[in-house]
Amino acid sequence: MPDGMAPQDEGFGNARVGGSTRAKSLHFSNVQVDHRDGDGQPFRVLDIPDFVVPPGAMIGLRGPSGSGKTSLLHLAAGFFLPDAGSISWGDVVISALPGAARDRWRRETVGFVFQDFHLVPELDVLANITLPATFSGWRQTSDQVARATFLAERMGLTDLRRRAAVLSRGEQQRVAIARALFNAPALILADEPTASLDPAHAAEVGSLLVEVAKESGATLLCASHDQALLARMQQVAAIADGPLQLKAAA
Amino acid sequence: MNPLPMVIADLRALRWTAAAIVALVALAVAIGVSIGAQERALRQASARAADDFDLLIGAPGSQTQLLMSAIYLQPEALPLIDGRLINELARDPRVAAVAPLAFGDIARGHPVIGTTLGFAGRWGRVQPSEGRLFAREGEAVLGADVSYRLGDKIEPSHAVAGHWPKRGVADDEEASRRHEGHAYVAVGRLPRLSSPFDRAILVPVESVWEVHGLGNGHAGEGAALGPPFDGQRIPGVPALVVKPKAVADAYALRARYRQGGTMAFFPAEVLVGLYRTLGDVGQVLSVASLLNAVLILAAIFLLLVAVTGLRRRRYAVLRALGAPRAYVLLVVWLGMAGLVAVGCALGLGLGAAAALAVSGLFEAQTGLRLSFALGSAEFAQVGLILLLGSLAALIPAALSYRRSITAGLRG
Repeated sequence: MPDGMAPQDEGFGNARVGGSTRAKSLHFSNVQVDHRDGDGQPFRVLDIPDFVVPPGAMIGLRGPSGSGKTSLLHLAAGFFLPDAGSISWGDVVISALPGAARDRWRRETVGFVFQDFHLVPELDVLANITLPATFSGWRQTSDQVARATFLAERMGLTDLRRRAAVLSRGEQQRVAIARALFNAPALILADEPTASLDPAHAAEVGSLLVEVAKESGATLLCASHDQALLARMQQVAAIADGPLQLKAAA
Repeated sequence: MNPLPMVIADLRALRWTAAAIVALVALAVAIGVSIGAQERALRQASARAADDFDLLIGAPGSQTQLLMSAIYLQPEALPLIDGRLINELARDPRVAAVAPLAFGDIARGHPVIGTTLGFAGRWGRVQPSEGRLFAREGEAVLGADVSYRLGDKIEPSHAVAGHWPKRGVADDEEASRRHEGHAYVAVGRLPRLSSPFDRAILVPVESVWEVHGLGNGHAGEGAALGPPFDGQRIPGVPALVVKPKAVADAYALRARYRQGGTMAFFPAEVLVGLYRTLGDVGQVLSVASLLNAVLILAAIFLLLVAVTGLRRRRYAVLRALGAPRAYVLLVVWLGMAGLVAVGCALGLGLGAAAALAVSGLFEAQTGLRLSFALGSAEFAQVGLILLLGSLAALIPAALSYRRSITAGLRG
């Protein structure tokens, strides 16, 4: 964190990246996910007997393409339910929550960063960052604008009125990270956040992501092929390489 | 939740497509609105124009033709009825007033109508807006839109059925058929009646007879204008307008003059028949325009379903960021229903403008002023289109509502 931006208060504050005390452990238990291939033959995408991400940990997920990294992140975010087993966040069994409750849990807990950013190109930087606020509230409060402005500055974005469509790829991913952080999530999920960027931008965005995750105290689960990014994590889990377990980052 | 920023972003992404959708809906609505309103305005205006014509009597023939000639002043060659009928009717205790309508002459394209002082003042209903009504032979009262000025000399010509002269100009055809040695002097002007009579020149019927070399219907010179006509010879007229004293009298008179070489009818009954035909045509047009609207809406609906399908990743991202299903449903539905609503509003305005333009053309052609107003029928029609459009928009909205996040993110 740059000088002068030290946390002033606890919990949801404008002048800090996020609330640290809400991170809980993420627990995959006997999780199985099956898909059908082109011929209708079922095959197992994920098989996780027991995998725990401790609160506030920064975990890299490594594995070849198609090994189920994205599915694991989607499970963690509650996008879909496993065919067997359960996923829980602290005491909350995500995989047992009904749809609307899972949506609410996700809105309050998760910040998701996509490989392809997925900004709304017609909206400007500020509107993209504050977009999650429109899911629950009608009016945008000055607090929300201040928070979005702070996050944008933290991500090195100066012009909040530029439309997302005209931003460079590196800038777009920085906006996407600011958007993911807007609700001060306790769990940040990132799916190949640097894979669509050139090496210089990848390094920059990768280090920013890790910094803000650290500042916020949130749990970070980051799927990546990017060795440099994986090296910034506290621990790395290799998927499709025996049972999923945490190892020290390289 | 506030889906408006996303709705606006979606519409911005559509841009020209959104504009085209609005234009198509507006066009479909405008066609329906203008047809409906126009038909109603035509009924009202034509009925109003017939207000002072309680009972028409003419030679046996087509009632419609007599109606068109006597009330809407369409030039037609009509057979004449015996002029003595005017005296007979003037004496009849069931008759409040009777007036001949002698047409067949034009001056600068304006029809010249021979009648009585009573009918010129519409049985006392209207006062001249300028000058006075005619008081002796050779004087003329102008309709509101007649291009002559008071004091002008008016030279009548024989009109030819089927020849539609340009008003305000004496063309070669008219000049070649002038009644030489006869002229009227304009002494007054009538207020606007919003009927074809606004273009007519009213003169004493005696003068029309004189112009045609038939005498004036009176025995001596200097007799007062109008009935009774006591001349040896009372010339014939194409039409008589009768104002009965009471409803029962009207029916009795109609029955009496339906025989013995005359035809009598209430213009209203002929108009009802015409309206029925007009109404049938109007109904066919309304149904056609509604089908047209439905087709356009269906095409737009398919387009929007396709657009929503293309945007499934965009909406999946919203859900991944924590948007409830209802938020996505609202974004899709509001965007589409909004386009249809804007199209409907624009279509009402466009339809009104089109109807006004058509009314202007119609008035230029016939002199009948159509007062256009949007009625409850038009609003109901637009409401129906809006309702159908909004309901149809629910389908792609519901599809987006149900789609799974993971499938949507895969694209």
